[in-house]
Amino acid sequence: MDLTPNSEQEALLSATADWCHDNMPLEQARSRHPALWNQLADMGWLGMTAPGMDLDHATEALVFAELGRHLAPVGMISSAVAARWSGHQGKTALALLDRDLTGGLLRVYDAPGATHALGLVGGLAALTALPSDLGGEPGLDLSAPLAHIDPAPPFTALGDPRAALHLQLLSAAFATGVADAARDMAAEYAKIREQFERPIGWFQALKHICADMAVRAAVAKSQLLYAACALDAGDADAGFHVASAKHLADQAAIDNGRANIQVHGGIGMTDEAYPHLCLKRAHLLTFVAPPERAVILGEAA
Amino acid sequence: MDIQFSTEEQRFREECRDWLHANVPADKRPMDAADAIGFDKAWQRRLFDAGWAGINWPSQYGGRGLSIVQQVIWLEEYARAHAPWIGANFVGVNHGGPTLIINASEAQKEYHLPRILKGEAIWCQGFSEPGAGSDLAGIKTRGRVEGNELVINGSKIWTSFAHVADWQELVLRTEEGSQRHRGLSWVICDMHAPGIEIRPIRKISGQIEFAQVFYDDVRIPLENVVGGLGNGWKVAMSTLSFERGTGFIADQVKQSQEIEELIDRARATGAINDDRIAEALMQMRAEVAALRAMTYRNISEVVRNGQPGPEASVIRLFTAELGQRLDRMGLLLAGDDILDFRYGDDNHIADYLRGFAGTIAGGSSQIQRDIIAERVLGLPKSR
Repeated sequence: MDLTPNSEQEALLSATADWCHDNMPLEQARSRHPALWNQLADMGWLGMTAPGMDLDHATEALVFAELGRHLAPVGMISSAVAARWSGHQGKTALALLDRDLTGGLLRVYDAPGATHALGLVGGLAALTALPSDLGGEPGLDLSAPLAHIDPAPPFTALGDPRAALHLQLLSAAFATGVADAARDMAAEYAKIREQFERPIGWFQALKHICADMAVRAAVAKSQLLYAACALDAGDADAGFHVASAKHLADQAAIDNGRANIQVHGGIGMTDEAYPHLCLKRAHLLTFVAPPERAVILGEAA
Repeated sequence: MDIQFSTEEQRFREECRDWLHANVPADKRPMDAADAIGFDKAWQRRLFDAGWAGINWPSQYGGRGLSIVQQVIWLEEYARAHAPWIGANFVGVNHGGPTLIINASEAQKEYHLPRILKGEAIWCQGFSEPGAGSDLAGIKTRGRVEGNELVINGSKIWTSFAHVADWQELVLRTEEGSQRHRGLSWVICDMHAPGIEIRPIRKISGQIEFAQVFYDDVRIPLENVVGGLGNGWKVAMSTLSFERGTGFIADQVKQSQEIEELIDRARATGAINDDRIAEALMQMRAEVAALRAMTYRNISEVVRNGQPGPEASVIRLFTAELGQRLDRMGLLLAGDDILDFRYGDDNHIADYLRGFAGTIAGGSSQIQRDIIAERVLGLPKSR
């Protein structure tokens, strides 16, 4: 039993953090360079657990939490799942059905350059082919182009039920990263913003908001890593652990996203500042493979 | 990273389970400390004789010298077997003993550690004072050096098991005129020494478990100072991180049983059909799982780096608050039965009332949040 990263994972994690800092800063989340996707593919992040790659979900979850912290494109999640379970390499857009059945409205994120989109249909991960010219405009989440297809085209379900767990795990990892980002942004601002002739982080009222953000992020990260290990081990409770990880990560991302805006005060209300980017991403992620209450309560196997 | 235990660890778990299954006492632990003391001592002795006391304590002092992971496995199985709370032995086993292991002289360790493990010596804590609660560095109880003795005057409060204890881990001011964290010493105080007066205090749950202690010219040999005169703050802090990290594993396993029992009860009564209750139960079941994950992460950190990470303080805060929400749910499901509660009842209402201590004792949740903000996030110190 060991839930700390080993030295290889540590090295991979810090290399990821450095690369993101230099090439994919959160501050540029709403104007990503078109060439970014090629770089992400070159870094190997779109197929870490693809057949022949020999990396486990624990390593992947660690790295995806770091990518999520920089508000990496959401299409990375669907791309990684497609690469693992469908052999579909490269960019795969993220599909969200407004109902859990085909025939309703389909939202597609990160469509440009993708031939397919992956999403959940009836509890299973499934693929659909995309029209070649599908583009998109930012929606609530300003970081990803969003396109609509109405009615949704037919999907082909992937046979293995673990693909859906994989999608849930990686979206939990992204949400955990958002919770981390919001916590750090709030703490940094609380150190430099002065009122009453001292940093606002001196005051307990602000300290305790930030401490609660740290608690939520630590809770989410711990369950994420446990869930990833459970999935790797083929644990009978893996479904419960992944669903719990998603639930806690979504909650941490939303609550930290909200608290971050509060800590920033008036600045936090502006389009120009960055806190709203975290909150909006958090809201988008709640719609990606949402956890089922029955699974967490232990009613469904 | 993995969540599998080694074959050796799994075998150890089987051993724990088998022994507990055959040996957990059928009778319930009495509620008040004075009645429970015989029970607690006898149970601790049985644990010691069978080799289950001090699993990760050094073997030369009566421990087993095994790993912290095995200690965790034992605590998990202990709670799973519904074994009794170690009660009066809590401070010696979970706090005083570990402090001695890190800081005490050879002679102090040789004398005290085996007695703690055998249940022969009951310890209590003497940190808080009427004027020094959250502001622990405001300690006023003083010890004047006279020859080879300390002459102690002052008062301590919220001292659990004071009226049944043999020894106390007492933090007091030994340098006259010293301020705050400086000039304090950590002393082994004989609770049977002349000049000690103990006034038990009843809790809101009806139990008499803690007390105020008064010291009137109490004489303690200087050789009872641990870690050197004037180093009391450092000695006290050396085990607070332990307490934050691994001192609450038994509580956490208990919480994982509580949530299952609550869900079963909510299903049996149909309360689960209330969306708010189902939602709250779902939330807590996920959180209990996360707490275990967080504890495993912390233990892994100890194994890898020899000490818990800074996030250990998060565990302490989260355990306490989650525990209170579980207690509150127990109350909600009980309905108007709670109105018949009387002092002396030992049930989930007593648990609920006792549980308020979780966010007060050993550093209030407000202080824990300050610690997290300052030490984990690096916000400016306000004290």
